[in-house]
Amino acid sequence: MSRARRVQRDASRTRSDTSASTSPDRGVDLDDDKDSFMSQDNDSQSSLSPSLTPDSEQETLRRAFEERSRVSPISRLPAELMIAIFSKLSSPIDLRNCMLVSKDWAHNSVALLWHRPHTGNWECVRNVISTVSNPNSYFDYSSLVKRLNLSNLGSQVNDGTLQPLSGCKRVERLTLTGCTRLTDLSLTAMLQGNRRLLALDVSNVGSITDRTMYALAENAVRLQGLNITKCDKISDGALEAVARNCKQIKRLKLNGCEQLTDRAIIAFARNCRYLLEVDLFACSNLEDESVTSLITEGPHLRELRLARCTRITDQAFLRLPPDTTYESLRILDLTDCGELQDAGVQKIVTAAPRLRNLVLAKCRRITDRAVLAITRLGKNLHFLHLGHCVNITDFGLNMLIKACNRIRYIDLACCTELTDNSVTQLATLPKLKRIGLVKCSNITDRTIQALARPKQLGPGGPVTATVLERVHLSYCTNLTLGGIYTLLRHCPKLTHLSLTGVHAFLRDDLLEFIRPAPEEFNEHQREVFCVFSGAGVVRLRQYLLNNPPGMVPRLGFGTGDNPNDAATTMYDDGEEPEMIDVTVQANTMAIDEAWEDVGGDNHEGEVD
Amino acid sequence: MASTDQQPKSQQKLILTTSDDHDIEVDRDVAERSILIKNLLDDFGPDAEIDKIPIPNVNEAVMKKVIEWCTHHRGDPPASQDDDTDNRKKSTDIDEWDQKFMQVDQEMLFEIILAANYLDIKALLDVGCKTVANMIKGKSPEEIRKTFNIQNDFTPEEEDQIRRENEWAEDR
Repeated sequence: MSRARRVQRDASRTRSDTSASTSPDRGVDLDDDKDSFMSQDNDSQSSLSPSLTPDSEQETLRRAFEERSRVSPISRLPAELMIAIFSKLSSPIDLRNCMLVSKDWAHNSVALLWHRPHTGNWECVRNVISTVSNPNSYFDYSSLVKRLNLSNLGSQVNDGTLQPLSGCKRVERLTLTGCTRLTDLSLTAMLQGNRRLLALDVSNVGSITDRTMYALAENAVRLQGLNITKCDKISDGALEAVARNCKQIKRLKLNGCEQLTDRAIIAFARNCRYLLEVDLFACSNLEDESVTSLITEGPHLRELRLARCTRITDQAFLRLPPDTTYESLRILDLTDCGELQDAGVQKIVTAAPRLRNLVLAKCRRITDRAVLAITRLGKNLHFLHLGHCVNITDFGLNMLIKACNRIRYIDLACCTELTDNSVTQLATLPKLKRIGLVKCSNITDRTIQALARPKQLGPGGPVTATVLERVHLSYCTNLTLGGIYTLLRHCPKLTHLSLTGVHAFLRDDLLEFIRPAPEEFNEHQREVFCVFSGAGVVRLRQYLLNNPPGMVPRLGFGTGDNPNDAATTMYDDGEEPEMIDVTVQANTMAIDEAWEDVGGDNHEGEVD
Repeated sequence: MASTDQQPKSQQKLILTTSDDHDIEVDRDVAERSILIKNLLDDFGPDAEIDKIPIPNVNEAVMKKVIEWCTHHRGDPPASQDDDTDNRKKSTDIDEWDQKFMQVDQEMLFEIILAANYLDIKALLDVGCKTVANMIKGKSPEEIRKTFNIQNDFTPEEEDQIRRENEWAEDR
């Protein structure tokens, strides 16, 4: 306490500390930090109001200020403007240097520097700990720390590391991801007496128990975000207490907490009216009632992730009241909710008409009827994952493409019924950036040619190159070099292309451009691995432009933009020559001409 | 919407009276880059006949600079709430014209910052703060003191203590 008083005395001495740091925080702060340690004795009023100070004394002060401003113009700026300037400095060393300039400068910069101390390595952590735990430190640093993140040190952190930091009672964001050796001991000490905590991330801190959650419930009344991924010792009862006391929670992540049941989730749904995002990945004991409650009770719920909540059935949605819609819900992830069927999807679409992202991967029982329901989302739908929904056919996909033309991302992996007859139509989606067709084994170069075709925006509108960025074509075994060549030439924004298991690409000269296979891959997986990304795509494109596959001469005419045409006949040794449909080839030529008119820079690199 | 017999805002004129009692004529839309002035005009309503606005905290020389900035930026979209996002705040990039504009002596620079703060011209205040931040960046404490002519009022012991307590900040 004496330390705080000393600081105030210092602060009141000089004018530039007048409104001293009522807001020493960076940026927008949810915290109406009225009792910041420097502001209790705010003397800004006294210096402006006609106080009891004799005129002569005021006059002396005024003159001193004028003189100081003459010598050093920057001293005209009041504290809040000095803080505004310091807040533009992003590097801690600049702020540290400001602290050493003068006492005034130190007072105005210290809170910014200590807002989020560096704790990325042991040297820093040791210094921070020794500073905040020193009772004779120059400033009361511990009260300035608002963000603390020890996740970089992960399993090296133990209770002995965190305990000395428990004096920081104004921490707003505490991030301890993967600090697996921490226990209730240091966490409860850290939480005790902190009424300001906004976000706690203890994902993978598996040894913490209900004790930590009860301490959280007792203290963190402002909590908005909680991530207890993989904390499997935490029970429903403790989370009910958190739900009752921390009513401001907006973001909740309980991934992999298989021990939890509907009890905990329903408590959150009923008590926390501001829930925005809930992720319950692999909470495999949850049943339908959790889901129904979250949707009906949470008027703001925007994002609900239920991947691998395998017990969920259609009833979770069919029990939603009729004629009620949940307009806030934008993202729904039901990956691997294998019980889900068409009726559930139909109800989802009716109840949440503004869904933007819908993930139904591995919901293997759904059929074209579900896809027809999804078409009702129309322009709202941007992201759709139907991977492994093996029953889906060309009919469903064609209807979807017609109705939902704002789709930016679509994944149809393993939808083995699909053929070129529907997949080619994906080319008509003007905003499509990412497309997943892994193991769609029926598709051929026809689809690829269609995707590569530049788009005409409206009848008579300008023709522009496709905006495709990421294309996944692994195990599309019918594809040939010719198709991919066209794709590369005509998709200037392509940054990812996966062709694992596509025979035509398992060639040493092409494999040179792939990225390394993931370490966990076995020998067989490595043998077929073929993914181009970033610079690899650019290099592959360049290589193929210089050494185009042999289709062009074979078909009897050149595209006219390739100086190496003559050389191409020599090229395709051992490779099955591509049988490109002549009409498609003619289209490609028309495209080239159209591009001349567009004159964009995008393709210039491609043509020569 | 202005009614038909009213001039569009860009052609309406206002007179600002500075602290040293000079009158400066300025287009209304330029003056309204200042939220202080804009709110004042709004409070009086569209029909009020206001021609002179006293600006008691800003002198003529500074006011002229501020008007020069506002004139150059008269077409900028109004600042939105989103401008406060972190990444924007952090950056000290300044566009070229603004950089040139800020090439003034320190006295004028800080007067501009004070005026922008008083007149509530957020974008100008921002440019001003960034300019000063750029003068600080990469300098040692002693170089900063020299740049701004600041007295070191720490004892060597205090300076040493602060240095030790903030050692972590030297980490790269």
